[in-house]
Amino acid sequence: MRYNSSNDIRRFFSHVLVIGIFVCYFIGLIYMQFSSADYDSKAEDNYISYLRETPPRGEIFDRNGNYLVQNQVCYDLIITPYKVQQPFDTVQFAKITGVELFRLKRALKRLPAKSRDKTIIARRLSAEANLRLQESGIEGFTTKASTMRSYPRPVAAHLLGYIAEIDEKGLRYRASENFYEERDYIGKSGLEAEYEHQLRGEKGLIRYNRKEKIDEVMSPSVPGKDLICTIDGRLQEFAEELLKGKVGSVVAIEPSTGEILVMASSPTYDPNESSGPQWGNYYMQLLNHEVRRPLLNRTTKSSQPPGSTFKLVNALIGLQEGVLKPHYRYECNHGYHYGKIKMGCHPHASPLNLDYAIATSCNAYFCNVFRSILENKRYKSSKEGYEAWREYVESFGFGVELGVDFPNEISGYVPPRKFYDKRYHARWNALTILSLAIGQGELLCSTLQLANLAATIANRGYFYTPHTVRMIGKDSIGEEFRSRHYTKVEKQHFESVVKGMWRAVNVDGTCRAANLAGFDVCGKTGTSQNPKGDDHSTFVSFAPRNNPKIAIAAYIEHGRSGAEAAVPIASLIEELYLTDTIRRPALVDYVKNLKLNYWNAYDSKKKRVKKDV
Amino acid sequence: MFNQRVHNRQSVKLFSGLDYGFVAIYLALVAIGLVAVISATWRGDDVAIFSLSNEYMKHIIYIGMSLTIAFVILLCDSGLWHKYAYVFYVASLLLALSTMLPGIGLERNGARAWIGVGGFTLQPIEFAMVGLALGVARLMSDYSFSVEKPKSLMKVALIILPIFVVVKLQNDFGTGLIACSLLLMLFREGLNMWLCILIVCVVVLFFLSMLMPPTPLLVALVILFSVISAILMRQRWKVAIKYLGVLFFVTTLLYGVYALFAEEGDNTYYKFLLCTTIASLPAIIWWTYRANIRELYLITGLFVVSMSVLFTSNVLYDNLHGYQKLRIDTWLGLSQDRDASYNVNQSKIAIGSGGLTGKGYLQGTQIRYKMVPERHTDFIFCTICEEFGLLGAGVLFLLYALFILKLMRMGDNQQESFGRVYCYSAASILTYHVVINIGFTMGFMPVMGITLPLISYGGSSLLATTIMVFIAVSLDASTRRALPVYRKW
Repeated sequence: MRYNSSNDIRRFFSHVLVIGIFVCYFIGLIYMQFSSADYDSKAEDNYISYLRETPPRGEIFDRNGNYLVQNQVCYDLIITPYKVQQPFDTVQFAKITGVELFRLKRALKRLPAKSRDKTIIARRLSAEANLRLQESGIEGFTTKASTMRSYPRPVAAHLLGYIAEIDEKGLRYRASENFYEERDYIGKSGLEAEYEHQLRGEKGLIRYNRKEKIDEVMSPSVPGKDLICTIDGRLQEFAEELLKGKVGSVVAIEPSTGEILVMASSPTYDPNESSGPQWGNYYMQLLNHEVRRPLLNRTTKSSQPPGSTFKLVNALIGLQEGVLKPHYRYECNHGYHYGKIKMGCHPHASPLNLDYAIATSCNAYFCNVFRSILENKRYKSSKEGYEAWREYVESFGFGVELGVDFPNEISGYVPPRKFYDKRYHARWNALTILSLAIGQGELLCSTLQLANLAATIANRGYFYTPHTVRMIGKDSIGEEFRSRHYTKVEKQHFESVVKGMWRAVNVDGTCRAANLAGFDVCGKTGTSQNPKGDDHSTFVSFAPRNNPKIAIAAYIEHGRSGAEAAVPIASLIEELYLTDTIRRPALVDYVKNLKLNYWNAYDSKKKRVKKDV
Repeated sequence: MFNQRVHNRQSVKLFSGLDYGFVAIYLALVAIGLVAVISATWRGDDVAIFSLSNEYMKHIIYIGMSLTIAFVILLCDSGLWHKYAYVFYVASLLLALSTMLPGIGLERNGARAWIGVGGFTLQPIEFAMVGLALGVARLMSDYSFSVEKPKSLMKVALIILPIFVVVKLQNDFGTGLIACSLLLMLFREGLNMWLCILIVCVVVLFFLSMLMPPTPLLVALVILFSVISAILMRQRWKVAIKYLGVLFFVTTLLYGVYALFAEEGDNTYYKFLLCTTIASLPAIIWWTYRANIRELYLITGLFVVSMSVLFTSNVLYDNLHGYQKLRIDTWLGLSQDRDASYNVNQSKIAIGSGGLTGKGYLQGTQIRYKMVPERHTDFIFCTICEEFGLLGAGVLFLLYALFILKLMRMGDNQQESFGRVYCYSAASILTYHVVINIGFTMGFMPVMGITLPLISYGGSSLLATTIMVFIAVSLDASTRRALPVYRKW
């Protein structure tokens, strides 16, 4: 019963202590609510996952609506290690799923046995393997549906390209796009790479409540757009069949639109391999094939001398410059002679006019044409004449990139004036670079550029940028593929060249094998001389003469003369395209059985002998 | 006065003098507890609402039992508690000790603190706290008892000691510290102020010594005490510095000699300093006696005690069990163990994500999805915070504060020291429970297995708290009846 002042202070202090603690705690609570770590999002992280839904990749069709690339259901094999019962029969499991034994063992070895994490140990399991796995009832393994690329018509591997899982570098490089995650597929080459943005679609976002197991679609995924190619699948298949066993390429273009009908490069590979389990090894084999380089797309990536087919360009330039008239005759004395300079030619009637010169591919005639272009009095020197000539050549698409719609196109090479100034110390004239007259020398181009030349002549003076895609989903392609590119040669000059090309096929020229009854096929062969091994066989052609439907260029490496390899191949493709049938099965057999010598070219021990003519 | 009460008993009605406000707060807290337990143990629509397999149905049974016992306590004569206080104390101790018996005792979370009877489990230490409160109140209400006498304090220590023994046997450290909460009661009863400060300092130092390496802490202490002594002794601060200088000089000398002959050990210099300080005590006493400075006794005493705490805290800490060490380390941020901090982390997330008004009843994601394992027992506060937000927590705090203050006020109004000491003991124990529980739920304190009284799921805690509180209510009621004019507040 003490009620002194000390007692009151102590009582007061006890009460203040209790109130003070609660006030402190309440302040702590307020602090936790409003100014501390982000507890709201942490609470959400506890039960919400944001999943990104990958849409199906767009498919690719040919011009007739047939599949070139199709999505096929496959399964990812997922392991949950702690569920796997020990001992585990790896051999049987490998047999059931088709996963290679060493891969399986490696995966099992790498993963901790008691782990609860789900890990993908194999991808692209077939539907059958999935079924077998489900039936076997082996615990610890689940599958997840996914898609892979399949190629019902295994053609145009170079053009279509392939897809693969994105690597770390790609992830880093494309981080700003905010699309790719680990294990996503990305187009690695060809159309798959060029049209990656259109094909991949847009990813959807799903809010997944882990506890209630409820999905909520935040934004739906948008499937990738389908590509409709300009490629004619049947024609492409036929072309690749004809090219089998040879090294070379064929490009066919529809001149009225610039659409590429055929883009075949040989040797090629089965694109189905790219979605198979062995792709890695197979790819390395392809990559390390030092001799034939099957991964090289020879239609656009191979720079070759155009050979005699380039004479057409020279003739057109001569006509435009006015230094050549179709009735001009030049003599050919087994070639062109000027002092010590000699340019050989095969035996034929002499002198000859333009159309026969084209038809029979006279070297001497075009040497004269080339000289008269460069030594035109309009220009102060032949060097300036050369510059003018070069501008013409570039207007035909040589030496520049055409701007096609798939990656890795080369520009070829038309040497600039500086090049010769340097090489010949500024002492050179038309005779020094006479090889250019017949498409030899430093001149390089791709098969695509040759096909483009054929299309330009077929169109009489203009071309559309060649392209392989006609429609992206429902959108048509860009304006740049629908506008005409005019050459610097006027339209009226083309007719006489076309006449020569027609004569070459239909009357007395070098490529009468290309003759198709009812279609006025026009063509020009080429035989590019080659210091290493046999000559390259070239052929450019279009048909019919009026209203051309197809322009084609074939380039068969080491195919000897133009008529021997390139002409029959190109002609058969034209025949199939124009008539839908092959009436010359013997020619098909001839092409398929054609024996070309490659040992000459690829045997490195053999002394390189420069051959005449 | 005792006669007066007996006389009144016959003449008054059953519940006259009952503090209805206090009972209302009690019922409100129990109701909040029931609501929270239902939310925390809600199993959705797949179980029938009144199915006995629901844990909240068990809780309702416990509430029923509690209310019955409360009623019985109110029926009893309030003189009973004073009379049989020691009997209750011994009985509760024996009950607590029975957890050690094989067959009855159960072990959970490393603590052997439960006894199983049929399907029900009981945590007897909760009841031992009621017994302790009664025992202490009985002891301190003796006429011979004076809080200023060391002998009396020794008796208090003796009556608390068995609880520590039981707790040590049961390995239930958190509950054992409840006995320390009686310090608040002792303070109210007039315990020497300096002793209180000393004990508080020791506790603070105990945790500081775990947080900091000993040497900087020691330097900090020396500086602190130098400053204090300088302030207290005013003009004589030079003497203190001289003293400390001599102390350090001697210590360094001794240590140097020691270091020549023996290899260096843990805190050796510090041990030497302690020895020299203790050795210098007679000199201090003599000097203090001569100069007549009473404060210096105190400062030296505090200095010695704090250094002893520094020395013993590691020993004490080493005696803790692994999980207890881990909890303290987690709280202090010394351990990055994810499992140990999981409960607290999730509880903090639940509290922090509640917002101002909460996520709504049965809508709290942390609780619904069972992110907090102990959401219905020890961590029930986070359930309330998540579903009712800051407002709910504020209401709970208000109710608790009122409850405890009313309990204290009951003590203040008691005519006898038994009732006063008992009410303050109960208030202290309750305060300790609430403060520690909410503290560790919010991550302010190391996790101790202590329930939130009247709210948490579990029969033992609810029953024990009810008994403890209603004994106070019954004592209060009899006091009111006895007094013609009741002091309002």
